[in-house]
Amino acid sequence: MNATASVTPLSNARSATPAPGPSVVDEWGRDQATVDVLEPFVRLRFHVRSTGLEHLPDEGGALLVSTNRRWSWDPMVAAFEITRRTSRTVRVAGRSDRAPGGAALRRLGGILARPDEVATALDEGDLVMVAASPSVAQRRAGGVDHRLLAPAIERGLTILPLAVLSSPLRRRVRMTIGEPVRAGSRRRGPLADVERADATRARLDEMLTEVAASMRRGSSWRA
Amino acid sequence: MPAAGRRVLVSGVGGELGSLTASLLEDEPWVSSIVGIDADPPRRRLRRTEVHVVHPSDRERIVDTVERFDPHVLVHLAVWEPEARANSSIAPLLTHQAATAFLGAAAECPSMEAVVARSGIEVYGRRPGAPTRPDEDSRLDPTTAYGRSLFELEHAATSLGASAGVRVARLRLASVVGPHLPSPLGRLLRQPVVPFSLMSDSPFTVVEQIQAARSFVAAACARYDGALNVVAPGAITLYQALRRGRRIPMPLLGPEWFIARRVSHLFGAPIPDHVMEVIHRGRLADGGRLAAALGVRSTTTAAEVIDRLHAWPSVIRVRTPSEALAS
Repeated sequence: MNATASVTPLSNARSATPAPGPSVVDEWGRDQATVDVLEPFVRLRFHVRSTGLEHLPDEGGALLVSTNRRWSWDPMVAAFEITRRTSRTVRVAGRSDRAPGGAALRRLGGILARPDEVATALDEGDLVMVAASPSVAQRRAGGVDHRLLAPAIERGLTILPLAVLSSPLRRRVRMTIGEPVRAGSRRRGPLADVERADATRARLDEMLTEVAASMRRGSSWRA
Repeated sequence: MPAAGRRVLVSGVGGELGSLTASLLEDEPWVSSIVGIDADPPRRRLRRTEVHVVHPSDRERIVDTVERFDPHVLVHLAVWEPEARANSSIAPLLTHQAATAFLGAAAECPSMEAVVARSGIEVYGRRPGAPTRPDEDSRLDPTTAYGRSLFELEHAATSLGASAGVRVARLRLASVVGPHLPSPLGRLLRQPVVPFSLMSDSPFTVVEQIQAARSFVAAACARYDGALNVVAPGAITLYQALRRGRRIPMPLLGPEWFIARRVSHLFGAPIPDHVMEVIHRGRLADGGRLAAALGVRSTTTAAEVIDRLHAWPSVIRVRTPSEALAS
């Protein structure tokens, strides 16, 4: 009997070898390739001047609490700027969980505004940014959700206030990161989180006033 | 390391994962004898595993075999993923029948020390607002038939642990894909033209079968008690997976999915609801606890698992004996 193999390979146009190079998202769905593509456009639209980046830890997790002016993209713009200046990934808590908006923000590093999401990201050593509630007044920060601060407090991680002064129509954006917000009391219960959130909001108000005053004086900002 | 001379029962030994786990258990010094039960014979050669081919509906025979063997450890892998080896209507029933028979029989065995049950990250569900990367402490809220089936299995295993006083490890696996593995997600990804959601293209993760099998062996050896996520590091979106495999992506927006599912079914790759959920909502999980608990660490990323799936040739040329001798 002729024992020639009866099965022959299909003339398949597709190679068995995987295509090299296509990027993949990280474990949260953030796509560095998308961030890299958008980054020049963000710089074209916003001219950001930042100070206080030295307060960011070189490694390990930290929580940034950002101001959030209504109709602005302040937290996202700040996240782009921090990543550009420090090469550290910033996860912004507060994306929607509905497509297509939520899916697009996830590609840029957005996570849900849930304490467990914030906790997991902090455990992995990421910088996590939570935004205050949207505020209409330029020099007033909105309320800070103490539940989102709790994971950082439990882990003894740094909480940094981040004031952003921007206008929906103008290109100039001023951003400053303040010194870490310390615990004002020795409370151990849930009030510790609430009081730290209040202290952070108060500090953000002060920082917004300081930034606005320095802009009026025309002081130079490090680009 | 547990004391030597332990008897291990592997349910679902006929599947790829079951037979691979059994073959790894055969090399464990603490395992004295292994019995495997499944509706199908094993897919690889097992040297010292005694295999019984029994359908999950034949409860009496399963209970009789398990009680006579009186195992110390039950590795319960008899789980049917919809549209993998059974269709969507039968798979939950088979999983339920197997869980009832094996876990019920295990509760009657006087030597029983530990159960390691196969579950999946589908138990967390992907309801809007659900955590992006749930860890083992996250709330279980399954949103698909497969997820609910696994949730019931976990509940039955946990109840057994409480009533019989045995340790119960629940290993929640991401989709196990790879060469030779019957998987609806794997089949979909290997089609020449693959639909994906233009609106979301959400990230998901998978796991390689060898990592899953090693996790089962490690959990059995450690007598682990609790839940663990077993996922490959990293994530990938469906579009990225298709590009890596040089498949033709077909972007879909919404209503046309109804037709796409039926066409895909016609071409041999049915899309059950838990795979539809992966496509639209993604499926990730935090697998950080596995390494700390069992020392099992995977270096194969989700993208590499997908690459190996695509590298599996559609047709493998069978060499004749004369060709084999000549080479």
